[in-house]
Amino acid sequence: MNEIPVIQRVIAILWPSFITAGIATVLFTTAFDPEVIFVDYDVSRLGVYSITFFVFWLLGAVTAMTTCFFLRPCSAGKRQGSDD
Amino acid sequence: MAMTSKSDSTASGDIEQSLYAKRKKIYPREVHGLFAWMRASGVFILLGLYYILPWLQWDERQMVLFDLPARKFYIFGMVFWPQDFFYLMLLLVAAALSLFFFTALAGRLWCGYACPQTVWTEAFLWIERKIEGNRPQQMKLDKQSLSWRKFRLKASKHFIWIVFSLYTGLTFVGYFSPIRELSVNFLQLQTGPWETFWILFYGLATYGNAGWLREQVCTYMCPYARFQSAMIDKDTLIISYDPARGEPRGSRKKSADPRQQGLGDCIDCTICVQVCPTGIDIRDGLQYQCIGCAACIDACDGVMEQMGYAKGLISYTTENNLEGRPTRLLRPRIVIYATILFAVLAGTAYSIYSRVPLVLDVVRDRSSLFRETDEGLIENVYQVKIVNMDQRAHRYNLSVEGLEGASLLLDDARIEVDSGEVLEMPVRVRVDPELLQNRSATLHFRLSANDGADLQRIEEARFIGPAPTR
Repeated sequence: MNEIPVIQRVIAILWPSFITAGIATVLFTTAFDPEVIFVDYDVSRLGVYSITFFVFWLLGAVTAMTTCFFLRPCSAGKRQGSDD
Repeated sequence: MAMTSKSDSTASGDIEQSLYAKRKKIYPREVHGLFAWMRASGVFILLGLYYILPWLQWDERQMVLFDLPARKFYIFGMVFWPQDFFYLMLLLVAAALSLFFFTALAGRLWCGYACPQTVWTEAFLWIERKIEGNRPQQMKLDKQSLSWRKFRLKASKHFIWIVFSLYTGLTFVGYFSPIRELSVNFLQLQTGPWETFWILFYGLATYGNAGWLREQVCTYMCPYARFQSAMIDKDTLIISYDPARGEPRGSRKKSADPRQQGLGDCIDCTICVQVCPTGIDIRDGLQYQCIGCAACIDACDGVMEQMGYAKGLISYTTENNLEGRPTRLLRPRIVIYATILFAVLAGTAYSIYSRVPLVLDVVRDRSSLFRETDEGLIENVYQVKIVNMDQRAHRYNLSVEGLEGASLLLDDARIEVDSGEVLEMPVRVRVDPELLQNRSATLHFRLSANDGADLQRIEEARFIGPAPTR
């Protein structure tokens, strides 16, 4: 992973999850009316949309991070300058 | 940017390892020319549209408003409801088709001329240039240690960037929440909590993407870069350096004849690299970082003019042309994309134009199959929903047809629905059982405006009766 710039790795996690969160929010709020689902909470409509979006973004980002973690090479690999 | 180095001392021999080196800031040199002018025009027109549109009114209401909570999109004179989701799909199909069409024609036209990232970065770079100076001045300033002058310049630049970003964020939210009230509230610091949040969020995104990330968005975030090669063929116009003409490159006196010295037209001034916003050398060939902005074309043409050579050493050309083969812009792929795109756009336009701003929903009452009245008639109950999607209120007339002898009973014969309102009401249909041929019959509800407007909807429904005893 050393040769991939940090910014590229950060973007690879945050950007796709951002897009998915947008789509998921649209689908979720189309299917379930926020005012019905969250009637017990004192949040405005825009608030519900926003919170939904960020929760989905967080879920997507966590998934992406897990994927990146599992993409690491399985073997320990040769580390630069290490003595085995 | 990566550097390679050889790692030392492993049993299996040398291993080449790429080490990550921190990104070097790219200072695109200022460029003038035909394509720079086209890009600047694009920036003006697109940014102008973006900032001006939410301030325009149509009939007391904002002309372009995406009212998310009320689930209505107002675009010019039209109102789009969730039922009109179909048009959004058609528009997405049209967008995808135009992507294929324009890319097959001339590569990344979108990226270089119209993409919001390019447009806003251009604006931010222009501000930076006005404050910090031209390319060498900027580079010198960054190398200096912090002085009062450096602090003043950097602070003013970031301040203007931040104000510009906040205004951009405000405008963005203004497409969803009427911008006139929003601006007044914002200036008084009285915007609602979520509006405030989104203004700041979008402002931060603008500042981060255009001020800091810049070409890294194009390099790392944009999927277009990755799949452009799938949409390009040998007859696509791409920005290319002509090695046959340019090589071998080398500097020479202006008065000298390059051919005598065994040189090509390229004088290796590297100005094409200096003007590149993504920092590549176009002479190495088309690379995925190239956003097709044509700054290198303008730069090289300028140098060629000064040297007295012909322009076009770097130009929009096709791979076939570079390899000396015949090339065609108007080919089957282009024609087919264009035709389908036109058809989809025309279909969408016609569909929107001939849209009937009226919805009629008829749902049969499922609690019972049918009911027999005191007079021995068979009765079905229906829940009728009428949505008036038009700009003004209407009066309607509801009738049934297609079922012999059927009569319609309404609680209130006067059906009046305001603009944007939904009316739900139960209605009854009664029929003499003698006239019923089958257990289940089809009938049609007709809703038409009776205030002179040409609006009509017909919905099919089922009428259930007893099994015929004949």
